[in-house]
Amino acid sequence: MVSALLGVGLVALTIVHLLPVYFGLSIGGPFLILFVVAPYIAIALGAGWFGEVRRYQAELRAMQLQLIQSEKLDSVGRMAAGVAHEVKNPLQMILTGVEVLSKRLADTDESTRQILRDMADAVERADRIIGGLLNYSRDRGLGLAYADLNGTIEKSLALVNHELDKAGIALVKNLHESLPMVRLDEFKMQQVFVNLFTNAMHAVGRDGQIRVATSMERLTRGPNVGHRKTDRYTPGERVAIIRIEDSGPGIPREHLEKVFDPFFTTKPTGSGTGLGLSVSRQIVEMHGGTIEAGNRDAGGARVTIMMKLGTAGAPA
Amino acid sequence: MRRRRILLVDDEVSITRALALYLTENGGCDVRVENEGIRAVASAREFEPDLIFLDIMMPDIDGGTVASEIQDDPLLRGTPIVFLTALVSRDETGGTLKRIGGYPFLAKPTHPEVVLEYIKVHARKGA
Repeated sequence: MVSALLGVGLVALTIVHLLPVYFGLSIGGPFLILFVVAPYIAIALGAGWFGEVRRYQAELRAMQLQLIQSEKLDSVGRMAAGVAHEVKNPLQMILTGVEVLSKRLADTDESTRQILRDMADAVERADRIIGGLLNYSRDRGLGLAYADLNGTIEKSLALVNHELDKAGIALVKNLHESLPMVRLDEFKMQQVFVNLFTNAMHAVGRDGQIRVATSMERLTRGPNVGHRKTDRYTPGERVAIIRIEDSGPGIPREHLEKVFDPFFTTKPTGSGTGLGLSVSRQIVEMHGGTIEAGNRDAGGARVTIMMKLGTAGAPA
Repeated sequence: MRRRRILLVDDEVSITRALALYLTENGGCDVRVENEGIRAVASAREFEPDLIFLDIMMPDIDGGTVASEIQDDPLLRGTPIVFLTALVSRDETGGTLKRIGGYPFLAKPTHPEVVLEYIKVHARKGA
């Protein structure tokens, strides 16, 4: 589309440049200038107009995606309570039955005992998924207080440190030393960071590397920056940026738009609920922030979170 | 010392059957089952339980109403109640600290050993 327009523009430009030479020399200077300059003005106006159209198309698409995402979240919420009740009762029966049998068959052979243990484990697994759904559908409120974002990240890392060490994964931290305090629900943001670190750990496998960096930036432009209602940030607004990068294989291009969808997972059945990133996005957006997932040029995935920085009244 | 009397009120027959068996065989409890919520108060008056495990979402009456009827009953007032419910996730239970309407609760599915622990903590001590 763009190349076709450029082609037409160039042809038009050539013709109108020749016109004054062919017909217009005798007409006089002012007309000559008009003939030469007009096409440039027309092309500049046209390009500006097409640029606007493209920008509005992109915005419309972003709004449509947001709407779809929000409808998905609402459906999940509505479904969760119903599913929870219908599934948790049978799970209670199975778990109690398994425990009755385990006690009665205390002297049975090892393979029978193993089957009973597996059944109890399966109930636990199903309950974790249902529990995640219930929590997901209810997490609509925040307990906001000013907190040190770097400290929140450190606390989250403390929760996964053991797993990092066990897998021999190197952690590289580059935390901005004078990041101002941010208004956040520290518990929920820890949930976000633990989710992201856990995903990164699964992506890099043994002996990989995870990098976490914080920085502070003043936004001038970007997809979420502007003065419209749909824009999350105003031009010139200061934000804290958290980048979590890994040395894994990256996110396949066809998955990039789906990674924040509820129930989207690439992990083996039973290993993930597919709610981790979706919940993370929900939490970050409740804070008025944004979260994006992408790939690094050098390979590996990168998740970028932007959080609004405190304004008046924020402790230093 | 007499055996602890436990009343299980839940419309799911399979749950009360298995749980009654477990508590009888492994906890030495005297268990009575009531699968119709609307009959829970009458059953409690007959049985005089030391603790009632009460489901919340039942087809004929909700557990909250049953709990308040029990507390309004002069004979049953003060009978300990623990809600056993599918409406909350396990993350939301916090031992005896978190309560629904002032009562402790357990999230289904709960390991029957935990049910036994709750009996030890909450049941009225036997004579």
